[in-house]
Amino acid sequence: MKNRLEFSNITKAFPGIVALSEVSFCADSGHITALLGENGAGKSTLLKILSGDIKADSGEVLLDGEAQNFKVPSDALRGGISVIYQERQMVASLSVMENIFAGELPHNKFGVINYKKLRKEAQELIDLFELPLDARMTVGRLSVAQQQMVEIMRAYRRNSDVIAFDEPTASLADTEITILFRLIKELARQGKIVIYVSHRMAEIFQITDKIIVLKDGKKVADFQTGETDEPTLVKAMVGREIGDTFNKLSRCTERGDTVLEVKNLTTKKVTDISLTLRSGEIVGLAGLVGAGRTELARAIFGADKVESGEIVIEGRSTRYKNPSGALACGVALCPEDRKEEGLVLSRSIRQNITVSVLSRIRKFIFLDNAKEKKLSDIAVEKYDIKTPSTGKLVGELSGGNQQKVILGRATNELMATKVLILDEPTKGIDVGSKAEIYQIICDFAKSGMGVIVISSELPEVLNISDTIYVMANGKITGVLSREEASEEHVLELAMAGQ
Amino acid sequence: MMTFLKSKNAILLFFLIALIVIFAALSGGGTLRPSNIINILQSITIVSLLTIGAGTLMIAGEIDLSLGGIGTMSSFVAALLLKQGVPWFAALVAAVAVGAFIGLINGFLVNELGFQSFIATLATASITTGAGYIFTSGLAVTIEDPTFRFIGNKLLFGYIPFSVLIAIIALIVYAMLLNKTKFGRSVYLVGGNRVAARLGGLKPKKVLYGLFINAGALAALAGTLLASKLLVANTVGITSSQFAGLTAAILGGISFGGGTGGMGGAIIGIMVLSCFNNGMTMVNIPPYWQTVASGALLLAAITLDFVTTSRRNKSEVKA
Amino acid sequence: MNISRLKRAFGSNYLALIAVTAAVSLLFYILNHDFLALDNIKNIMNAMSFTGTITVGMALLLIAGEVDLASGAEACFGGIVCAIAIQAGLPWPLALVAALAFGACCGFINAFFVNVVHIMGFICTLGILGIYNGLVSVVTDNHPVPAYVPSFWKLGSATVFGIFPLPFVIMVVLMVAYGLVLTRTNFGRNIFMIGGNRRAARLCGINPSRIVTALYVNNGMLAALAGVILTARMHNASPMAASTGAIDAITAAVLGGISFLGGVGGMGGCFIGILLITVFSAGLTAIGLPSYWQIVAQGAILVFALSADFFNSKARRKRLERDEIKRRREFARNKEES
Repeated sequence: MKNRLEFSNITKAFPGIVALSEVSFCADSGHITALLGENGAGKSTLLKILSGDIKADSGEVLLDGEAQNFKVPSDALRGGISVIYQERQMVASLSVMENIFAGELPHNKFGVINYKKLRKEAQELIDLFELPLDARMTVGRLSVAQQQMVEIMRAYRRNSDVIAFDEPTASLADTEITILFRLIKELARQGKIVIYVSHRMAEIFQITDKIIVLKDGKKVADFQTGETDEPTLVKAMVGREIGDTFNKLSRCTERGDTVLEVKNLTTKKVTDISLTLRSGEIVGLAGLVGAGRTELARAIFGADKVESGEIVIEGRSTRYKNPSGALACGVALCPEDRKEEGLVLSRSIRQNITVSVLSRIRKFIFLDNAKEKKLSDIAVEKYDIKTPSTGKLVGELSGGNQQKVILGRATNELMATKVLILDEPTKGIDVGSKAEIYQIICDFAKSGMGVIVISSELPEVLNISDTIYVMANGKITGVLSREEASEEHVLELAMAGQ
Repeated sequence: MMTFLKSKNAILLFFLIALIVIFAALSGGGTLRPSNIINILQSITIVSLLTIGAGTLMIAGEIDLSLGGIGTMSSFVAALLLKQGVPWFAALVAAVAVGAFIGLINGFLVNELGFQSFIATLATASITTGAGYIFTSGLAVTIEDPTFRFIGNKLLFGYIPFSVLIAIIALIVYAMLLNKTKFGRSVYLVGGNRVAARLGGLKPKKVLYGLFINAGALAALAGTLLASKLLVANTVGITSSQFAGLTAAILGGISFGGGTGGMGGAIIGIMVLSCFNNGMTMVNIPPYWQTVASGALLLAAITLDFVTTSRRNKSEVKA
Repeated sequence: MNISRLKRAFGSNYLALIAVTAAVSLLFYILNHDFLALDNIKNIMNAMSFTGTITVGMALLLIAGEVDLASGAEACFGGIVCAIAIQAGLPWPLALVAALAFGACCGFINAFFVNVVHIMGFICTLGILGIYNGLVSVVTDNHPVPAYVPSFWKLGSATVFGIFPLPFVIMVVLMVAYGLVLTRTNFGRNIFMIGGNRRAARLCGINPSRIVTALYVNNGMLAALAGVILTARMHNASPMAASTGAIDAITAAVLGGISFLGGVGGMGGCFIGILLITVFSAGLTAIGLPSYWQIVAQGAILVFALSADFFNSKARRKRLERDEIKRRREFARNKEES
């Protein structure tokens, strides 16, 4: 049984971003330590280092003073560290008991499983935590909450000394959260070191003993839960120097007619969304991870099925069912995951830019190469894409340049884009290129487009948008103008209803 | 110029030339005799049609194993119709239509029912091969229609088989299709990243339907052509050549990962394969060893393709 | 033995399958009264044994998320190796062992390509299938290889309790044995884990490559065994023997509830799957339809089985989604009220 987990001067940088900078704190056995911070603060990076998924650039993770050296995740598991993520790591077709004891089912020397023993031990564990589960149930039939409990049981059975939770209550109902909390408290009572990563204030005050606040990769506060309150925490989480970047922007001040009206839109992931966007306006969608912003964008773009509600473009109600239809109506989307969803990496810059307008660069039945080259040259110049030629493969470009290719694809002159949706346009991009992109976004607005920007960086979404819609749990929780919005207010709205 | 020399196609071309030279030497010049060259050209035709169909599907990231069955079944359809006195044009169109229809079924299974393409086409392969047997009760059907025989056997200028014209036209048409039309471009984009292609406004399902139907139609044409050449439609038919299409495509640099490759490489692959098969016969390698060699060639081609693809992927990730 | 485990061993659609099999048998009986005569039933059992033995190996591979399209050729080759060994003077038990060893080698080769070169199972076994088909013809010069040892033939013709042909009994014993391994041993459960969630399996300390290798080797040996038994029954090893072996095995397995994506299924379902397709094809023969109808039928049944699998999992997913949405909406509603 280990007594203390310590992070000592952990630093981790990715190309263009410093994710963690000299983070140090410790967590003791028998206590529940919270890791609080907004998106991009560094919480998930820290967890990945803890679980052995990635390695820190410098600094150490120490268990009872001994530095841990994990090369692969299974090292961390064997070292006694379990991280419960949001994605389930189980085999749905097997039973609860088989998943709890996965890989180490009790067997005799011939390998024959002793099912009686397995069931007994699994059920004992389940009963110890007073969970409403039967060891023989098939995991695939359980609800998300119940599956999570199975995973916690597995971590416990492994005799992990450290059990970390990453946003565990994201998909849970009230009653399930109560059971989960009892479970977590019991884990602490049994002497485990529990780390609880979350952005939900109410819960943090409910079960944690100590709170570590991360902001921009640094540890900014270290409180005992009983000695602090919500406003103090929020203040610690936000409030940063934005500098001149946003002040120097040349914005669009004129507003035209309404280009996009979303009326009571409901899909599987979002409920009853209503939103208005005018020509020349930049609307920001703020919220925490899982709030439903990307899902809303996809619904507006026709990529996901709409169950009810209406999308009205320039006064005309639309009925498109796929991205192709949305593009024909003048709606364009730049997806969140550049490499997986936004670009065909094995093709050239030219071919990626013209994906959406192939019908329009035709001469009779053939593609007009000259037109295509001209179009992409214009885009390269307009967005200052650094490349020796437009024939270069997109997979070989830097992140910033790749993003610009996607922008070029969505906004070239053959597109007549009226509504442009940008999902995390500056993710993974260095500071210098970010400023460039902010101006490009303002220029879009100036040219008459309506722009929707989704961003998890509060200062970014606050300062680029004219109007901010805050989302939580698939719904809109607030609408603010740039003047009246503040980081604290937005964060509160983003955490509302949790 | 340098990039071409280092490219896969250049290596293949080199291999092709080496192959021709070696077999010519081993056969005492036999492979270079006009009558043999005619044979090679005729087999190139058949393989080309199959390779175009299989190759375009592979670029889009799918595979079609039913082409042999489709070819055989269609050749029977054509032969039987001819026997009933149906004019040659109608019989040909009917055969191709049947092939296209099976292709449509393949597309349906993959698009709407979510089957993996290899298992879906494996199933249709069974069905079409069996159907071919059923139509004819296992017996061969002779083709007596003069036009068909002409198409299959006439030599232009005494040397060039008429059917080669068909292959050349097909290769040129499809090369242009892939490189210069919206549909062709969509094939590459869908194969390269299906999700991104969809979010960019393309319709992957439509593309796949088109490709499967096309492959089926081409396979039907190939099967019918073979039957015309042999003057008889039988159950062996084209079934033995279907892996040839696949092998030639892979040899020609059409990566199984999807999204890369083209007709240029495919042509070289087709020629390599045809010369390889022909050369083995001319050097008197026993027929069953030829089957082994063909299978080994396929395996070698796949291995080579995977090895070079993964090395390429690794360097992409670093960037 | 409780109900849920029994259900899992059989796969989810076993009742429907039994019903269909019974209906089909009834149909054929009406069309030809000899269909259910004892002799014919023995034929059916014999026919089942060949495909069934191959299916056992294939099922394990499928559950792990792999496949071997060359199983039929491996079976054919196994029988040939045995026959050749017998001709060379080896006593037949040794010839059997030689065939099994050969099958194991085939498995190693497959595993090499899948694990080391990282080629997907279906494409590499496709290539290997071509090679083996050719080699079979080379080795036998396309003639059946006689295996003229009457004591050997007993392997194919002996009966247990006077009714059940030995090949059938062997198949059943293998199915029960492997079924037990699947459901009651650590190794078996690990196979499910690899197929169900390979990453999670690795994180739990399981070594997928080693298990996959074992499964391919096992599959090769079982295929070879099937070939040997067929040789014993036919008194010779024919190069034509097993052209559709792999597809039949896959069809039977998928019919029996083994999902193509891995992680699901059981031996009981496989048994019923094999029963159904064999009954079906025997029925077609009984009513006078020539064998090529059966090839069509195989393909059609495979399409049917996979479609059923698709619709099943789609329905299951929809049900789960609907439940989640309902809960979430209720949750939101409760929150608003409070």
